[in-house]
Amino acid sequence: MANIRKISKLAGVSVATVSRVLNHPETVSQETRNRILMVMEEVNYVPNNLARSLTTNRTSTIGLIIPNILNPLYPSIAKGVEDVFYKKGYNILLSNTEDDAKREKASIEMLLGKKVDGLIICSSILGEDDFNIIVKQGVPFVLLGEYMEDSDINIVYTDYQLGAYLATTHLIKAGYKKIAHIAGPLNRKASIEKLEGYKKALLEARLKYNEEYVFEGNNQIDGGQLALKKILKKKGKPDAIFVANDLMALGVIEAIKVLGYKVPADIAVVGFDDIDVASLIEPKLTTVTHPVYRMGLTAARLLLDNITNEEEDCFKQKIFIQPMLKIRKSCGYDNRMEEIFS
Amino acid sequence: MSLAVDFLGMKLKNPIIVAASPLSGNGSMIKKAIDSGAGAIVTQTIANEVRQNVRPRIAANSLGMQNIELYSNLTLEEWEREIYYVKEKEATIIANILAHTPSEMAYIAKKVERFGVDAIELGISIPHGEGVELLISDMERLYNLTKMAVDSVNIPVIVKFSPNVSNLTALAKVVERAGASAISAIDTIRSILGVDIDKAKVMLPTYGGYSGEGIRPIALATVAGISQAVKIPVSGIGGIDNYENVLEFMMLGASTVQLCTSLIMNGYGRIGEILADLENWLEDKGYSSINEIRGLALASLKSFEEISIEPYIAKIKDVCTEDDCRECVKACMYNAISVKDGKIHIDDSKCMGCGLCVSLCKNKKIYLDW
Repeated sequence: MANIRKISKLAGVSVATVSRVLNHPETVSQETRNRILMVMEEVNYVPNNLARSLTTNRTSTIGLIIPNILNPLYPSIAKGVEDVFYKKGYNILLSNTEDDAKREKASIEMLLGKKVDGLIICSSILGEDDFNIIVKQGVPFVLLGEYMEDSDINIVYTDYQLGAYLATTHLIKAGYKKIAHIAGPLNRKASIEKLEGYKKALLEARLKYNEEYVFEGNNQIDGGQLALKKILKKKGKPDAIFVANDLMALGVIEAIKVLGYKVPADIAVVGFDDIDVASLIEPKLTTVTHPVYRMGLTAARLLLDNITNEEEDCFKQKIFIQPMLKIRKSCGYDNRMEEIFS
Repeated sequence: MSLAVDFLGMKLKNPIIVAASPLSGNGSMIKKAIDSGAGAIVTQTIANEVRQNVRPRIAANSLGMQNIELYSNLTLEEWEREIYYVKEKEATIIANILAHTPSEMAYIAKKVERFGVDAIELGISIPHGEGVELLISDMERLYNLTKMAVDSVNIPVIVKFSPNVSNLTALAKVVERAGASAISAIDTIRSILGVDIDKAKVMLPTYGGYSGEGIRPIALATVAGISQAVKIPVSGIGGIDNYENVLEFMMLGASTVQLCTSLIMNGYGRIGEILADLENWLEDKGYSSINEIRGLALASLKSFEEISIEPYIAKIKDVCTEDDCRECVKACMYNAISVKDGKIHIDDSKCMGCGLCVSLCKNKKIYLDW
């Protein structure tokens, strides 16, 4: 196989010049550069990245750890990360943990073993101490998802409680009184925060918070269908439902239709996440933007700053990306003035 | 005669700045603006996330322009290259940035500072694509957004205001307290340009920002209000089309002015024309620097209670020869103006001294007196 020594011989230049063509092409005259590139093409030369990593101590690879590859949120995050790193010549190793702490730890160790230049960990269920292994190896990393107080860690986060508060307040504003909530798995911090936001909105509007109107789902479509049936069976028809994620909201809307009711005339529905299909189903789903793509972009930029040491002030940053209400049709709210760029 | 101004410690060769707009959407467009003689250029709004612009997104009528264009289509990383490219020209570049939380704002501010811009303008008044409530409408949020941006960089931070909120002067005091170096005003105003009545359809499919001549009176009032409320300088924006408009804004307290709609409609050549006219006017009037006119008209601005009531009525100087023009006759609500024997006649007993005819008279033949 051709290596740079062979190229240098064939092109009649020094090894250093060939290396410069690969790493700093602007420092080589165009004529020489073209000659060397032609030789490379003739002999099908491919740079040996493993060898390059040994000398630069960089692999131009980062690790991205996500909890659930089937949730449409995570591809958006991955796209945000990829959009930044691809242009800088990095590759991304993706690791899926199935919401399992053991698997998350194993993923971190595996990626560190692969000598990644940095790590982005989404919706981590680990504690701050669990990240010591990364800190000790001096590998920069960014957490994405939830806020971790008093930690010396780069975090890009959003506020689930605020998002849920916005969604519920919107339903109250639209005139609904009997508002149910379908929560995500309540062992997850995000689900609890959303429940808190729902409660806060009700209390602020002097509506009674009733535990019996909260139903737990599994964050999947079928969980939404099931929860809706449970609500109707146990509590009768509510005016409106705030659903903790869009996948469940899709299930809820489907079940409402199957049972012969109309959205939003009989039951209004608001979701959370703003996944792509939210604006395609009928009626279009009013939801809270979980700004995942932007979070992915921001986490990637922060990590890149750390990898390239661009960030002179080395204190760790915590960047808050705000959730926003997207008013569409499923909430039955007619004030079109507020519906801008759905 | 000097047109040079000092703005936030930056020495600008003249007070004309190209406003954040599609006109400053990339390096080569900014270079054109520099070459046409602008004192500084504000980039199109740079945000964390690029959002696709809809088509169509701009429409205009004789009084102004509505746009539903969002932010720059270039990513943060791409702006690094564009700014590096234009900074080779030694131009003064102000980055207009947008974020929705203080920490996100601080991050982008630091980024663009590293790219080499001279100042930052917070583009937090866009009236479309951001919902009805503007980011600046809440005082606490406005304070936090400004403060964190100011604290995170070593270059001046300007906050851009829009009249789509009430009590702008109170908000101006908030950003001054938060450490902003200047305020630019006004951003576009929420609008619907018009309805195509044959198709029963609005011109553009959503509410957008209105700019151009039509908003100038609103902008002038805003600039006058802000420049009296705070000590930090004001950059005036809104329907500036000629040197007289520049002077109007500066006489009401603006330190610099920003142009956009007029340049879109007339091209960058307009900057050179305005600068030449400005220089001639100032020279004619015997000023040695443009700085001498700043705030001159503010003294004539009174509160309503300060205005004394005097028995003014309209008088006509000599004979009006504009036989085709009967604007004053048509517009007199009190029927005090008529044509007698081919001449304009004002009936003293009917005139109530409203003054409308004075502002309408092309040849300035009518005046008020008592």
